[in-house]
Amino acid sequence: MSAAAATAGRPSRRRRLPFSPWHLVLIPATLVLILPFAWLIVTSVETPAEALHFPPILTPHVIRLGNYPAALRAAPFARFFVNSAVVAVTTVASNLVLCSLAGYAFARLRFLGRGALFVVIMTTLMVPFQVTMIPQFIITKWLGTHLLAPIGINHIGALIVPNAATAFGVFFLRQFFRTLPIEYEESARVDGASRLKILLRIVLPLSTPALATLAALTFLDSWNNFLWPLIAINSTSQMTLPLGLAMFQGAHSTEWTLLMAGNVMSLAPMLIIFFVAQRFFVRSIASTGLAGT
Amino acid sequence: MIRTFACTSLAAALVALGLAACGSDSGSSGAAAGSIQIWEGYTGPEAKVFAHLVSEYDTQHPGTKVTSLFVNNDNSLQKVLTAVRGGSLPDIAYLYGSWAPNVAQIPQVVNLTKTVSRPGVNWPDFWVGERDVATVNGKVIGIPALVDNLAVVYNKTLFAQAALQPPQAGWTWDQFSADARRLTDAAKKQYGTAYVTPGSEDTVWHWEALLWEAGGQLLTAGNKKAAFDSAAGLKALTTLRTMAVTDHSMYLDPTDSAYGNLFNSGKIGMLVTGPWDLSTFPNAKYGVQVMPSFAGASGGHQTISGPDNWVIFNNGAAHVTAAQKFLLWLTAPAQVRYFSLRTGDLPTRQSVTDAAGFDQQMDKALPGVSTFIANLGNVRQSRPQIATYPKISQALGTMVVSVLLGKAAPQAALSTAAQQVNQILANPNG
Amino acid sequence: MTDPAAALRRRSRPASQARRRLPRAAEQFSGWAFVTPGAVIILLFGAAPIVWSAIMSFQRSNLLSPSTPYVGLRNYRQLAHDPIVGQAIQHTLIYTILFVPGTMLVGLFLAVAMNRKIRFISVYRTAAYATMAISTISEALVFIWLFDPSYGLVNYFLSLLGIPQQQFLNSPTEALYVILVMTIWGWTGFAVVIYLAALQGVPQSLTEAAAIDGASSWATFRRVTLPLLSPASLFLAVWLTINALQLFDEVYLSTQGGPLNATTVLVYYLYDQAFQDFNFGYASAIAYVLFLFILVITAIQFRVGRRFTHYRS
Repeated sequence: MSAAAATAGRPSRRRRLPFSPWHLVLIPATLVLILPFAWLIVTSVETPAEALHFPPILTPHVIRLGNYPAALRAAPFARFFVNSAVVAVTTVASNLVLCSLAGYAFARLRFLGRGALFVVIMTTLMVPFQVTMIPQFIITKWLGTHLLAPIGINHIGALIVPNAATAFGVFFLRQFFRTLPIEYEESARVDGASRLKILLRIVLPLSTPALATLAALTFLDSWNNFLWPLIAINSTSQMTLPLGLAMFQGAHSTEWTLLMAGNVMSLAPMLIIFFVAQRFFVRSIASTGLAGT
Repeated sequence: MIRTFACTSLAAALVALGLAACGSDSGSSGAAAGSIQIWEGYTGPEAKVFAHLVSEYDTQHPGTKVTSLFVNNDNSLQKVLTAVRGGSLPDIAYLYGSWAPNVAQIPQVVNLTKTVSRPGVNWPDFWVGERDVATVNGKVIGIPALVDNLAVVYNKTLFAQAALQPPQAGWTWDQFSADARRLTDAAKKQYGTAYVTPGSEDTVWHWEALLWEAGGQLLTAGNKKAAFDSAAGLKALTTLRTMAVTDHSMYLDPTDSAYGNLFNSGKIGMLVTGPWDLSTFPNAKYGVQVMPSFAGASGGHQTISGPDNWVIFNNGAAHVTAAQKFLLWLTAPAQVRYFSLRTGDLPTRQSVTDAAGFDQQMDKALPGVSTFIANLGNVRQSRPQIATYPKISQALGTMVVSVLLGKAAPQAALSTAAQQVNQILANPNG
Repeated sequence: MTDPAAALRRRSRPASQARRRLPRAAEQFSGWAFVTPGAVIILLFGAAPIVWSAIMSFQRSNLLSPSTPYVGLRNYRQLAHDPIVGQAIQHTLIYTILFVPGTMLVGLFLAVAMNRKIRFISVYRTAAYATMAISTISEALVFIWLFDPSYGLVNYFLSLLGIPQQQFLNSPTEALYVILVMTIWGWTGFAVVIYLAALQGVPQSLTEAAAIDGASSWATFRRVTLPLLSPASLFLAVWLTINALQLFDEVYLSTQGGPLNATTVLVYYLYDQAFQDFNFGYASAIAYVLFLFILVITAIQFRVGRRFTHYRS
């Protein structure tokens, strides 16, 4: 480990703590980061009477776990969950494929109009959704009527297709691919490998952390997306989780305890998957002396 | 690894498309004949009662299917406007009354003037505030869905602790201010009253009620010029300012979210608010009283109300007829009574409150609501029903907030706002 | 730029006109083939709306009636004279200038701290990711409470330090900075996740070599790690800037542009114009001006970035 190598070259300065000193930094930082979660979870098990306090009560007298089944019963949440999951998984899969292809092309391939196309793609990030949602609605409706019904308005396909590839994903992977040492790809070219094979066999395996990160971020975006599903979906059976959670928010009053219970249930899968899949985010192959500089 | 990944993602995509194809309804808005779609934002008990009424209607009228879609009321405007441009409107939508003058410009909105004058509908049975908000330029564009008003909700325990007499029906703003001062305790972080200061219409309409009580008007007759920079406007503004800036008895809530919970936690003595907040005070022993008046002013204990409308969109003659039939049934006295009793919402029809024992029944379910019901009689006028009202509201919001934060003197703020409002009225398309 | 080693290899083969042009044509084809599927989706749903909003900005439209007459540059002229637009631009720029470096620094610090194999490291990393997952309304409510002038924790801690109570969201001078803190909190997780991914590409061999040569960990970090992180830093700088210039949700859920327009940023103002005042043509003009702003700033970032980013190829 690098610690051993480091200490070999330096006189040991201090007695080692029984735990890494970094915990002293990470623990307070993490506490600050999770404060809203603490509030979220506490509210989700409170009675409405205790939830309606200001300043908020962080140590309730009555714990009501019944908020969770009550939240599930309030609307067809199982259906919403399935819809959200289908949309998120498909969006992630499609992004990984399409953005890898495009990102690689922008990073390594030379073709006419590359620069201009990249600029145009980046510009799609620069107009707020409040302005683009109406034309996006009209386009999606047209596609549903004239091309393929399941991708039109009021189908979950409409939630997938507009986000099947994002400028974010293309930009992110382009940056990442450019940091990879080009030697592997060059020697494969010399050996006559096709571009696609290079991408699949060499570049992508080296990019696991970046792909995992893109997957995590895209999943998050898709799972929490509210405004576009609000505009595009017109039947309860096609709703996604955020739309379902909005059912606890009325114009004048909100059912906080149920809303927070719903929020916790919505967050939990994402956090569990992220936690469990940590190894994909860390490079398992330590890149050895490629002297890539 | 890549291969497994590629296969999994392909499989996922296929599954997704499959689910999407078989999972979807024929559900574009109101597609099948004999079915109508409603967009509403009912939550909690309101949602349950509304769902019950809808299924009752469906049972009584086989051949019609009423489906409702939950759309948060705050977001419904964005969804409706997108639907207008995209051609996917519902048959009925619940829309805030404050949007009525602009919603009336949508060509697909059905003119209900003839509908509401049909025998049996009894249009005058709806409160005057509601009828004002449902009518734009003489055209009735909606049927009232909700009515409310502002009154004072006070904490009985805090009043007792301060040895103060609870508010009486004939009280004045001087008494309100004095009570607020006595109820404020800096050490306990307790405030006499509160006011919301995001500068939105919520900030403005509280002040407007005081303006009317002081005998003032917002705009001149015909909505030609500003009329609020008068003695009445000054009196209304100064009353608020004294509490906020001089006495520090007023908690200022810039986010419109904390004041309710603060009252529930016993930190605020009195709130000027509506019946919707009553169910959010489970921990406070509260009482309800009408708003105080200005001694000697003609406005009395006038209050302001914020009704909302059911609006019908034209998706073809068959749909319009079906939608009208449903709405007239939903807003008939029997259903209004049923809805009010089970949700605590104020009845939208006067005849319902006239029924014996109604007020007591409401009070049993939601203590204090009968005062709000009686207070509906104090609604004598409504905000100007003009398309430029939102812009006017913003100028007024800035005026009130700048005075409450102590950044401007009342007279100066009134003059500036009047100037801005006159400009807005002169250039409605500017 | 051609890699000299590769060029050498090519020159050592018998070269013919046809073979020298072929790789380029094949490369062109591959390039376009790879890019097209993603580009079609992005352009169809992204670029078309931009053109549409440009057209809208030359019309007077309220989204209600079908009549949308062309009014030429009137919306833009109104924009130039609208004092609130000037304020919104100011607030947006101040916010962005503080937000982007702030988030990057906090994110970098935490990512470096989390890039090690110690116990509970997965917990720390998940906590960072979780800050992105939480709904904006929960985030807003917690911060509204924390910064409440009378009952919030921040004023409580300040009072312990002898600092007088601040008005925070009630103060036209402080409100924007409260939103700044709220959003830095919300975006830290994103910066951490990006930097963590980038740190995986820093070969241990290099950092070990530097340590063996006697370099302190700070010097190693500055001379070896940071330059290798520069592509991620450029990415973050660009992405965070684009998002900061379009700040909306947190303002909408807390101060609604107040108090007294102190937190009115450009996207909030255009939303206000479109959906409160029904001035959709005017809102489109504002969106277009913002778009040009973002375009110019991003272009500058890429230009400057080119000089400071090191790609290992």
